This record gives sequence, structure tokens and C-alpha cells, in this order.
Amino acid sequence: MATAVFVSLLFLPEIVFSQEEVASAIRRYKQYETSTGYYEEYEVLPQRQRPMVGVPGVSRGVFPYSPGAAVVRVRTRLADSHRGIKFYERRRCEDCHISETLDIHTVRANLTCRQCHGGEPVASINHYYSPMNPIRRHAYVCSKCHEGSSASYASYIVHEPAPGSSKAREVFPLLYYSYWFMLLLFAGTLVFFIPHSILVGLRELFWKKGKDEK
Amino acid sequence: MRTKIYIKRFNKLDRLFHFFLIVAFLIQAATGFGRLFITTVWGKELSSFFGGYENSALIHHWVGALMIAGFLLHIIYLLTRMKLRNLGKSIFGPDSLVPNLHDVLHLWQRFLWFFGFGPSPRFDRWTYWEKFDYWAVFWGLPLLAITGIMLIYPIWTSRFLPGWSLNVAALLHRAEAILAVSYIFIVHFFIGHLRPSSFPMNQAMFSGNVTMEEAIKEKPAWIERLETGKNLEIVTAKAPALWFKIVYFGFGYGALVFGVYLLINGIIYSPHIRLH
Repeated sequence: MATAVFVSLLFLPEIVFSQEEVASAIRRYKQYETSTGYYEEYEVLPQRQRPMVGVPGVSRGVFPYSPGAAVVRVRTRLADSHRGIKFYERRRCEDCHISETLDIHTVRANLTCRQCHGGEPVASINHYYSPMNPIRRHAYVCSKCHEGSSASYASYIVHEPAPGSSKAREVFPLLYYSYWFMLLLFAGTLVFFIPHSILVGLRELFWKKGKDEK
Repeated sequence: MRTKIYIKRFNKLDRLFHFFLIVAFLIQAATGFGRLFITTVWGKELSSFFGGYENSALIHHWVGALMIAGFLLHIIYLLTRMKLRNLGKSIFGPDSLVPNLHDVLHLWQRFLWFFGFGPSPRFDRWTYWEKFDYWAVFWGLPLLAITGIMLIYPIWTSRFLPGWSLNVAALLHRAEAILAVSYIFIVHFFIGHLRPSSFPMNQAMFSGNVTMEEAIKEKPAWIERLETGKNLEIVTAKAPALWFKIVYFGFGYGALVFGVYLLINGIIYSPHIRLH
């Protein structure tokens, strides 16, 4: 029995963390580009973290799927997320999504919105067929550049909230508390040591002149 | 002209570690700031000196790897300095950098002395601010190393941690770097160069020696301990050679000027980083 289990273990494939059907990110992306837009035939659910949209204030498991996913907004499940917005054709993305332009992907890598979110109509993040849906985001969006990305990897918050803001406290508490911890450490260190240095300097000036000591 | 007596404060290895740390820290600060400020004119200039945005990162990664190696070597060195026969004393004794209750007392006495309410505390070999300097690096370096490795290998990291831990790692790496740079370029440089008793430069960390007068004035308890233990002869040292003095003065001031350059430009250009 043990031998049988051992032998079968030798022949079983290694555990793949993202549980992708197709291992190569490049091949997968080409398929996506040439496909009809229906993705079910390639899909396997990510194994480690089930993408679930949480209810605010309720977290599932020790690590919820992603802190950003806990926000349920009105337009997160539409096929066309901008449906019904007036003068939509005349607007630019950053007219409304100004804080979404202040992240590393936009500022450093100079990505445009379309490079990840795709052309019109832009499907809502959690629409079932959206490439941005957390169940396939890693394969259809992230792996365009980050070859080998997994569902866990795709839970990186691209549009992270300003780390000290009250929004961050709601949607990304760990980032919020890390920020304030480091800021207080920074402020505390300098608030203590700069006056300390100045006092040392002043006192030693007088010390040199011999006003002090026996 | 009377001859000065020198006593040994840092051995060759201590100084080598410190020299290595200076060079590595400055390279990391410059390549890191070049990338952090890449949206500004200054950041572009700074990173173009290292071959651009991508090359700065490459240098940053390799020097980071060297720093991690240096840190591990330093841990081994610490273990060799511990005496198993006398473990308690070698960890908590006066020659150790581990903080103890004397440091709290000294801090209090030091503040009384600032305002003229008492004599300066009788420091032993390490003062409380020197211990703080040491432990600041000791916790900062692993933090930067771990978050740095996470950011170099994000896909590998996301196999063990959720991907959003990279957001936190990036924040911690940046915040700790800014803290370290500010502390070193403001407080550490002030203590090492500008305060009246060490102006123009505290040479102990480069020559390894301090003069007897200076030691008696700054660290009376240490000298007393050496005298009662009849160890004073063992630690007396030669004066540093003139060429060596010129070299380390040049190096020290080079580091100072470069650090202040980074700090001032960092403050000037910080509103233009364009990240949250």
C-alpha cells in the first residue's frame, strides 16, 4: 500500500499554486487575444485563495482574499461599468479616477488605463466575464507583463489607497497601521534626537569654555 | 609639543564593517532615491548617474545582497565575541552593546546636565546614543533585507504570502529607508562631525583610537575600569599616520557632503514624487 502511494506520488504532477490549466503565461495570453471572449473552457478556480467579494466588516479566513476586494461598490458587477454615465464618450479616465493615477503602475511604468482594463466597454471588476475578475485576473491581466503570476500574486492592490487615509483603514488595515507605525517611529526618533543633538552641541560649547566642572 | 597617549576603541574588523556599511549605505541611498524621485528632474539625474532606472535597481539589488552577506558575517563575528564561560557578563556587561538600566539612568542624568542641574553622566565604553545607533542598524537592515527580497522576487513571494503583502513590503521598505537616511544624515553626522567635542570629525571609527584626554572626559567609567583591571597598557595604541589621516578625512567629508546633498534634494523634491 505504502509503495503504491509512493509510486503514484512520483508520477503525479507537482502542485501548481495557481492551478492553471495552461502553464505558459504567454500562450495563455495569445489565446485570450484571439478568443471570442468566452473563457469558461480554460478556467480552473485558483486553489489557495478563493476569490470572494466580502461584505464590509466581515472577513473570511485569516487572510481575506484581498483587502481591496472587501469594498462592494454599486458598479462592480456590470458588463459595462460606465453604463448610463452622461457624456461618457467625451471624458477621460482620469477626469473621475484621479486617485487611480497615483500608483506605481501608472507613475513609474507609465501604463495607461486601457493596457489593463481593456477597450470599451470596460466590464466591471466583478462581472463574471471580465478579465479583471479575481478568478482570472492573474492569467488575463497580470501575466501580460508578470509572467507566472498566480491568483495570490494578483491580489496585489494596484490602486492602493493613500496609506494614511481613513479609506485605507477600512479597506487595507495592515497598510494603514504599517504606515502610522513607521510614521510615528520616524517622528519619534527625530523629535527626540534632533533636540538632543542641539542640546549636546550647545552644552559642549560651554563645556569647552570651561564654565562647567570642577 | 607633548605626545598624546592613544587608546584603542575599535579593532580593524569593526572599522572594516563600518567602512563597508558607509559605502554600501550611500550607494543604496543614492540608487534608491534615484528611483523614488524618478518623476523629478533631480531623480532622473541621480539615477542616470547609475545608468538609469533599471540599472539603478540592478545595482541596488547587488549591493543589497552584499549588505545581507555583511550582516550575516557580522552575526558570526558577534557569536565569536561572546564568551560562553561568562555569557551573562559578555552580553550584559559594560563592553557589550546590549542596553541596560545604566543607559536609562545616563539618559536622565544627561538631560539634567544639558540644563546645568548636575555633572555629565559617567559613561562606560558605549553611551546610550551609540547603542541606539547600533541597534537602529541592527533592526533596520533585516527589515530592509526581507522586504527588499520580497520586492525583488514578487512572484516567488506570492507563493507563500498573499500578493497584497507586497503593498505592505513596498511601504515598509520605503519608510524604513527614509527613516534611516534622515537619521544618519542628520543625527549621526551631527554627532560624528559637528558637535563641538568631535568637530571637525570624530576619528575613532576610522583610526580606531581615541586620545586619552578625550576618553577620560567622555567615558570616565571606561578608563577607570581599564585602570583597575590593569588593562590600560594593553589597549594603548599608536597615533594614526598622517597619510591615513588625510585619506579618512577626505573619505569622511566626502560621505558627509554626499549625504547632505541627498537629504537636501530629497526634501526639496519630495512634493513631486507623484505617488500617494
